[in-house]
Amino acid sequence: MIFGKEKIIPILAISVLLLGIFSALYVNATQISKETITINGNEYTITYLFSICKKVTIQTDEGEKTGISFDEMITKVGVGCPSCHNYIIKAEDKYQQTYTWEVLKTGVLTDYSRAYFPNTAHTFWIRNVVEIEVK
Amino acid sequence: MDKMKIFAGILLFGSLWGFSESIIGSALSEVGLPAGAIMTGFFALTFLVISRMTYKQPGMQLGMGVIAGTLRLFNPFASCHICSALAIMAEGAIFEIIWYNISFDFKELKPIIIQMSMGILTSYLIYVGGYILTQILTPIVSGPGFYFENLIAMIPNIFSSGLLPALIGAVVLPATILIKKVDFSLKDRLYYPTTIGISLLCWSIVIGSWFLITV
Repeated sequence: MIFGKEKIIPILAISVLLLGIFSALYVNATQISKETITINGNEYTITYLFSICKKVTIQTDEGEKTGISFDEMITKVGVGCPSCHNYIIKAEDKYQQTYTWEVLKTGVLTDYSRAYFPNTAHTFWIRNVVEIEVK
Repeated sequence: MDKMKIFAGILLFGSLWGFSESIIGSALSEVGLPAGAIMTGFFALTFLVISRMTYKQPGMQLGMGVIAGTLRLFNPFASCHICSALAIMAEGAIFEIIWYNISFDFKELKPIIIQMSMGILTSYLIYVGGYILTQILTPIVSGPGFYFENLIAMIPNIFSSGLLPALIGAVVLPATILIKKVDFSLKDRLYYPTTIGISLLCWSIVIGSWFLITV
């Protein structure tokens, strides 16, 4: 029994290390690095989005955050009936979260591609946004 | 062992763990260090293993997770308290499962390679397990609901994030076992005043900070 554990424990440890290493390699290899944000299948630069939307400031539990509101941005890029959809915001490292319109419209996108939402957990604050999928 | 003595041990180690998560973890995060990995790989693993070796009592680490998670609810420096609290409780439960088949004289853990392997396994699994649970519970408790597709998309990210705590655990577990060989048992008349006093101090600092910041 003890002999079994002496073999199994190191094998399992090596397995989880390999799982971690290969996952890290996969995340690194599939990381999307681009200058634009895909919204509903179309590409937009941050500069363009900031040129068509007004800057607003929201209050979060980490202080004030300034950017363009998702509310205005989604409307300006031509998404019809914004409240009829859910939205998936995706980061360059594949991190993603789903938002209802009620939540999305409260948030801002900063000029450094970070999404902030005032009344949600920080899990929903996404760094390096590369895509907003309209579902 | 006396049940009251075990309960005082759960309170002490759970409070130390919760205090570390709330105060030290937040400070590490503030200076840009990977707080989650350090908290699990160093603090959580140390407290869980020391308590296991000292009291040799199954179920105790689950109780410590409940105490630490409850204290984490009062953390004034971070959001979504309930999610982090539940993740900590899950870490205690996952530790119990991993260590279920390890005998209480720890004879399996004598070779250094086994100690390092157990450190890697325990740290990796409790970190990844807690992370997955947080990703499920946070959207349910404080967001628009849980979406399975988001969790699936993040799985490689979550699996890779367990690497650092695993490597920390490979060093911390053998070091903890080495330190534990030094006998630091308390005399009976000092046991309850010390354990309850340290626990009260941990709770006072965390709740005091919460009170100062939020009220």
